[in-house]
Amino acid sequence: MQTIYYIVLVPMVYIAFAVFIVGTALRLIKIFRTPPHPATLQIFPEKRPKWLWALHDTFLFPTVRRHKPLLWFFLMVFHISLFLLIIGHLELFYDFQIFQIIPHQIFLGKGIVGLLAFVSLLYFIFRRFHSPVKELTVPEDYFLLILLLLLVLFGSQMDWARRWYEYGELTVEDYRTYLTSLLYFKPELPYAVTYSGHSFMLVVHVFLANLFLIFFPFSQIMHSFLALPINKLRRG
Amino acid sequence: MDQKTRDDLLKLFQSKLNQAMLFYLETCTRCGTCVEACHVYASMGQVKYIAAYRHEIVRRIYKKYFKARGKLWPTVGESKELTEMALEELYEAAYSCTGCRRCMVYCPFGIDTQMIMSIAKLLLVGAGTEPEILTMLADTSIEKGKSLELYKEGFLKGLKNLEKDVVKKWQMEAGETAIPVDVEGADILYVALAGAHSIIPAAAIFNAAKENWTLSFFEAVNFGAFVGDPTRTKLILDRIINEATRLKVKEVCICECGTAFRVMKQMAGKQPFEVSSITEVHARYIREGRIKIDKSKFNRPITYHDPCQIARNGGVFDEPRYILKHLTDDFREMSPEPIYNWCCGGGGGLVALGEDTLDFRMKSARVKVEQTQATGAEILATACENCHAQLDNLNEHYKMGMQVEFLSSMIADALVPA
Repeated sequence: MQTIYYIVLVPMVYIAFAVFIVGTALRLIKIFRTPPHPATLQIFPEKRPKWLWALHDTFLFPTVRRHKPLLWFFLMVFHISLFLLIIGHLELFYDFQIFQIIPHQIFLGKGIVGLLAFVSLLYFIFRRFHSPVKELTVPEDYFLLILLLLLVLFGSQMDWARRWYEYGELTVEDYRTYLTSLLYFKPELPYAVTYSGHSFMLVVHVFLANLFLIFFPFSQIMHSFLALPINKLRRG
Repeated sequence: MDQKTRDDLLKLFQSKLNQAMLFYLETCTRCGTCVEACHVYASMGQVKYIAAYRHEIVRRIYKKYFKARGKLWPTVGESKELTEMALEELYEAAYSCTGCRRCMVYCPFGIDTQMIMSIAKLLLVGAGTEPEILTMLADTSIEKGKSLELYKEGFLKGLKNLEKDVVKKWQMEAGETAIPVDVEGADILYVALAGAHSIIPAAAIFNAAKENWTLSFFEAVNFGAFVGDPTRTKLILDRIINEATRLKVKEVCICECGTAFRVMKQMAGKQPFEVSSITEVHARYIREGRIKIDKSKFNRPITYHDPCQIARNGGVFDEPRYILKHLTDDFREMSPEPIYNWCCGGGGGLVALGEDTLDFRMKSARVKVEQTQATGAEILATACENCHAQLDNLNEHYKMGMQVEFLSSMIADALVPA
């Protein structure tokens, strides 16, 4: 079992990050080196400044707000949660003073953020169970949503245990030792990481995160990078 | 389908993969925000007409042949082989889409379904399974460009017969030509359609405005664009560009034809002349006091159908409304606002396919009829040949009891001395 834990927590993490970084970079380079469309693809009437409206469209999803308000609500909740969770993970490496503008223990939101992301994902999955979104869905959509749902659930579970139930065996310091050791290519697995009651949670969480990172460059999650340029095309 | 045909078709597919197309193919999350965007889905309720569903028909082939996971893990994206059956599906998707780009206003990313459908259309051309009539019409246009001399005499004779009708609408001074042709140094080259209704009112208005204009030998409509063939589209477009350059005109004015306007305005590249729609030119004449129109001519409520390629996709919204303000005190705007205007259901070559598509066009445009009737207007004006033909068909089919009019004809009928 410890060998499997080690494989997931060390070599697989490196492989996943390598695939994610190299894959995403190569795909983006390929896309951006392809010649642009020779004519405008703009929609009128236009509003200026175009780049500001493109940013507005990219980050506030105004068209979804107008046509699918409930979906918009969960999309906003999910994407904001994701942003906060990324900050939380960065804080597992170092204390960034800038993030302490709002004083908090590591992982903003006292466990609520993960819960919100989880509920949003449940909504995204359930709305695909019925027509007409059901007919639009391909297996990849379920695969990614279920992957994310489990990823968030296992990750949040560790946060909830610490924050809500005072589970103290696996501490922020343990995560930090593990993560920074990976960063410096001197992998070190503290005892608590692999032998505490929540090691299993951590290993599953990291395993799912690895899968997600490996699939990222080849999936529609690339919209994280393409949403802005594509919206700019519409704004002209 | 044999391997050679498939390889040739995939080369055509590859030729469409520019940066914008890759954005469109890589980004869709199938969120379903576009569900209600398409007039065909809104009118007929079948899932296959949802924009994202149409995309996916093309995208599945893209995943199969242009993405690694088409080979490594084909089932995850349901990637699909290019077969005869796939071509049939592509046909249904492409020729039930009018290219109105209403779905683009719904999509959180702004994915352009018309662009994605252009892959389907090109594959059909490559496989020789496109609507033959569109290719034939495109080839006729191209042929006319190559051997103009053969057509010239007949064309000029035809124009002579129209001149008296132009004069009937607007009396000219002695010695002036009612329909000038081949005038070097003219300010405007007017590109009409092959039909008197596209020439007579326009000519009368140009003459009333004392415009230094000349009529193009060529018709504006671009069947190459309808059939989705970039080579033919370019050849048809080039005939007009060459004529405009030869005559050294300052402005090319496109008649009431949405596709022709958009293709010329957006695809001609940088040219020594401006491109405008005839609606813009007419609004300018009124604004500058060069023509005057009698408001009492049409004393019934009027509504206006924005042709998709001219308004949402071409940016001409204010000018037709400015003109209508001078034609009536009872203008009824359609709801919702113009950017959300329902397509008439006749674009993308569907009207050009005539009777073959009539049943589909009538069923798929039910929402357009409801939108129009909700205004309570009695006159339905528009500024596009395709829209006009389709709205005329709808008027008859749904017994709407409206009068469908070209905006330019209304102006010509209401002309009074300035």
